Amino acid sequence: MESDVPLPSRVIQTSKTTETLQKRPRIFEWIIEGSLFVAGAISILTTVGIVWVLLSEALLFFRSGEVSLVDFFTGTTWQPRIGEFGVLPLVNATLMVSGIAMLVALPLGLATAIYLSEYASPRVRTFMKPILEILAGIPTVVYGYFALTFMTPLLRNVLGPDTVQIFNTASAGIVVGILIIPLVSSLSEDALHAVPDALRQASYGLGATKLETSIKVILPAALSGITAAFVVAISRAVGETMIVAIAAGAGPKFTFNPFESAETMTGHIVRISGGDLSYNSIDYNSIFAIGLLLFFMTLTLNILSRRIVSRFREVYE
Amino acid sequence: MIDQPGADLYPQGEAIQAQIKKRHRTGRIWRYLFFTALVLAIITLIVLMLNIINQSFGLVAEQNAVPPNMLVRDYQEGRLLSASNVVTSEDDFYLAEEIGADPQATGFFGYAFFKNNEEQLKALTIDGVAPNAETVNNGEYPLTRPLYIYTTADILNSKPEVAAFVQYYLDNAPAVVKGVGYFPAGTEELNAAKATVANALESGGGTVNPADHAGTIVASGSSTVWPVTSAMSIWFEEDGFAGDVIVERVGTTGGFQDFCYAATTDVDIVNASRPISQLEFEACRSHDREPLEIRIGTDALAVVVNHENDFVSDVSQAELQNLFVETENWSAVNSAWPAAPIRRFIPSEDSGTLDFFVDTVFDTNLEDLPYDSLVEILAGGISLNVGRRLEREQRFYADTLVFEDQATWDEVCAEAEPPAGCTAPPRDQNNVFLLVQERIVQPQFLETWYLWPSLTQRDEIVRTVAEKYPNAEVIFQSWINGQFITSPQSSTPEIAGIRTAILGSLWVIAITFLFSFPLGVGAAIYLEEYADHTKRFNQIIQTNINNLAGVPSIIYGMLGLAVFVRLLEPLTSGAVFGAVESGVTANGRTILSAGLTLGLLILPIIIISAQESIRAVPGSLRQASLGLGATKWQTIWNHVLPNALPGILTGTILSMSRAIGETAPLVVVGASTFITFDPTGPFSKFTVLPIQIYQWTARPQQIFRNLAGAAIIVLLFLLLTMNATAIYLRNRFSKRMG
Repeated sequence: MESDVPLPSRVIQTSKTTETLQKRPRIFEWIIEGSLFVAGAISILTTVGIVWVLLSEALLFFRSGEVSLVDFFTGTTWQPRIGEFGVLPLVNATLMVSGIAMLVALPLGLATAIYLSEYASPRVRTFMKPILEILAGIPTVVYGYFALTFMTPLLRNVLGPDTVQIFNTASAGIVVGILIIPLVSSLSEDALHAVPDALRQASYGLGATKLETSIKVILPAALSGITAAFVVAISRAVGETMIVAIAAGAGPKFTFNPFESAETMTGHIVRISGGDLSYNSIDYNSIFAIGLLLFFMTLTLNILSRRIVSRFREVYE
Repeated sequence: MIDQPGADLYPQGEAIQAQIKKRHRTGRIWRYLFFTALVLAIITLIVLMLNIINQSFGLVAEQNAVPPNMLVRDYQEGRLLSASNVVTSEDDFYLAEEIGADPQATGFFGYAFFKNNEEQLKALTIDGVAPNAETVNNGEYPLTRPLYIYTTADILNSKPEVAAFVQYYLDNAPAVVKGVGYFPAGTEELNAAKATVANALESGGGTVNPADHAGTIVASGSSTVWPVTSAMSIWFEEDGFAGDVIVERVGTTGGFQDFCYAATTDVDIVNASRPISQLEFEACRSHDREPLEIRIGTDALAVVVNHENDFVSDVSQAELQNLFVETENWSAVNSAWPAAPIRRFIPSEDSGTLDFFVDTVFDTNLEDLPYDSLVEILAGGISLNVGRRLEREQRFYADTLVFEDQATWDEVCAEAEPPAGCTAPPRDQNNVFLLVQERIVQPQFLETWYLWPSLTQRDEIVRTVAEKYPNAEVIFQSWINGQFITSPQSSTPEIAGIRTAILGSLWVIAITFLFSFPLGVGAAIYLEEYADHTKRFNQIIQTNINNLAGVPSIIYGMLGLAVFVRLLEPLTSGAVFGAVESGVTANGRTILSAGLTLGLLILPIIIISAQESIRAVPGSLRQASLGLGATKWQTIWNHVLPNALPGILTGTILSMSRAIGETAPLVVVGASTFITFDPTGPFSKFTVLPIQIYQWTARPQQIFRNLAGAAIIVLLFLLLTMNATAIYLRNRFSKRMG
């Protein structure tokens, strides 16, 4: 590009130096880029670390000869003292808590999302969303306290203290459900929001009411996003620890009664590691085996939800 | 379908109207249902908060091994008794005589004795109020106490002789009370008392003739009221009463103890120099004795000087304190007075009058006593062994030893592993006060109630306490208070606090920040500014970060346990740096391990939010900078980062507030279950606020739930502060971008 105005001589001189500068290797820049790359790679290291730690310790557990893989996955008693390592009671309790949580969070979270996305005025939305955010920001130990000191007495009052034990999966499940309502509602609302307005207008144009539009047009269109939200929520419920550690009770128990105490996978890990744990004991190794199972359960759910979302994205592109 | 028209398929006319109506109605109903879900979430939040508040405040039944006001009284009396030129005597006549003989003398005793020696003495006015019938009865004069007798309607009705005596008492009270030297109750009060008695009597009262009655009447209680009741009994017997009146002196509290708390009692009348307390009242009630309160008069103390004393006639309450302690000359109390020594004549140690004077004039709290006195109180109440142990933990004075002798101390401190007290700075006022609380006062919360029942069933609770714990006191306790925040953890719930936990949380969060902030922002810069997203490895990094954000926090705890606590133990325990304090090694279960674990946990969250902020910086800024010849890093450092910083900070603070509330990973990493000393650095053992809450919640006793509730309020307050900062930054940020 030629300039009409002749450049001052000083600038021309510097342009020469710039040429030489460009050829010189920029060591400082390299160092910076290198260290930033390391920072990014730390996250990979974390994952590798998690998998390695869980795998190696779990391997020690399975190699100890005290338990076989089959016994681990099919046994219905978990009593390390007598060498019984069947993970089913823990998994069962985890699934029960998550199931109850989803029964609470699914309808409430979805209804909240539909209301906020389709019905609420902007004013209501700006007022309500921070409240949901507060609910999401409360530490889980506080929810655990809430479960034990409010939800359990409530259940015992309503259903009778003979039916409901002091520690029970129902109370823990309900409160885990409350905990994940904000997660379900905010992710579902994002999905509903992403549905193009044209769909709504087309529906109204055909004479549909707001409800019919929301339920029969928008909801199906956003279904994959909402499903993904549910899957993430399940994963969160499965991994939730403090509420179940406080309210669901100690001691693995294979029961389908939600009003009895039962220890979940996470609850068991916390209880065992909270005590004086001697390293390289079978107890120590066993919690890593449970941790590994937990990790794969949540990872599968998370990957599943991501898959669902990426499919959903293709619909409107 | 459209090309198959049919009347049954498309409703016509009214039918279509009805259908539309129905559809709208369904729409409305569902709208409310959706709204209800939202409202439910809000209600949950409110209930959650109310539940916590409900448990953080409420009534407690408190019982002290030693009441703090007794300690204060002992201390104050000690000051009085050790003042210069002090003479004490049991005998009020002696005191009056001595003061009457010495123009520089002062003292105090019952108003009666002043009246008997009026010509030699002068009573001082206090803040301008002179003691006389009027000021004493209306309470303007400060040094007074009311005098009562108590009985019950049942006793009056079942024992006519008691009824007769009480009526006789009231009829003659003005004369006898005045004769003894107290101030009789006013006419109105006496008439009210007479009406009370008459109402209680089934017979309705009337005139009394002592000669009509016989039997034994037992009166017990205050030694202040004793002379009145004694004199009354003599009059009563002289007027013809055929039976016996026994008047005992066991003190007011002793009198109520016999009258209210025993299952059966032979006490008919309690003499009291203070009103009945709420608990005593309830205790009486629980035995079906509804106490009748009969005010008979008022006792007053006179502060006197010699009648020739011409420089002082009035003292303020503050001057009154100085008049009897520590000062030596009159001029030291008030500069207008002469520089002559004060000669003090006061009742002796065992006298109730001295107690009364000290209680009214020196109204101090235990925690305000001087340091030396607190140490003295402590030393007086614990064994030498306990004292030595406390001193080895932390000494009381920098230069002298209280419990340990110097030789042993030097020996102990010369050992290879000297106790903390050898190097730590001496204890402070609050620390010693807490020790006195813990070791001497030993408050005990026998039972606690939540806020709601405390408000709605107060009377019932007070009655229960009176029945179950006769010596306890019902107080309203705010579980969250200054002591709670400043005290270390303790196994005694009454004095337990969360200072250790708060400091632990702050240390851990500081390490977390130092670790994850630079790493997280670095990773975000790399991913947004440098990484070539077509390369597989970078895609893996991005996916990996997203997946890490979904890993349950307890898994991070296990990672921390295996890597930071065990594998890197030499590093995280501080052994590499030579920072291990011998004897207290935490085996890698340190603040550093906890901070790093939480750092890994929130790293993905920081990276993702920082990425979003960096992405929001307009590309034109980068192009302008690069176009001016800046290098890539110069562009990022000088233009991209400053613009993205508020967003990055918001995300960081939010993730920090996540970290500060995390419990599970820290339990796994190995937070200490019980430590009472403050963390001193990254290699200390630790506990954090959520762990403290978890441990308290897990205890079955209700008192720990109260403590947990209070700790939760502190935690939520901390989070609220952090989140408010984040929201403020976010708002500022969005304004600037707009």
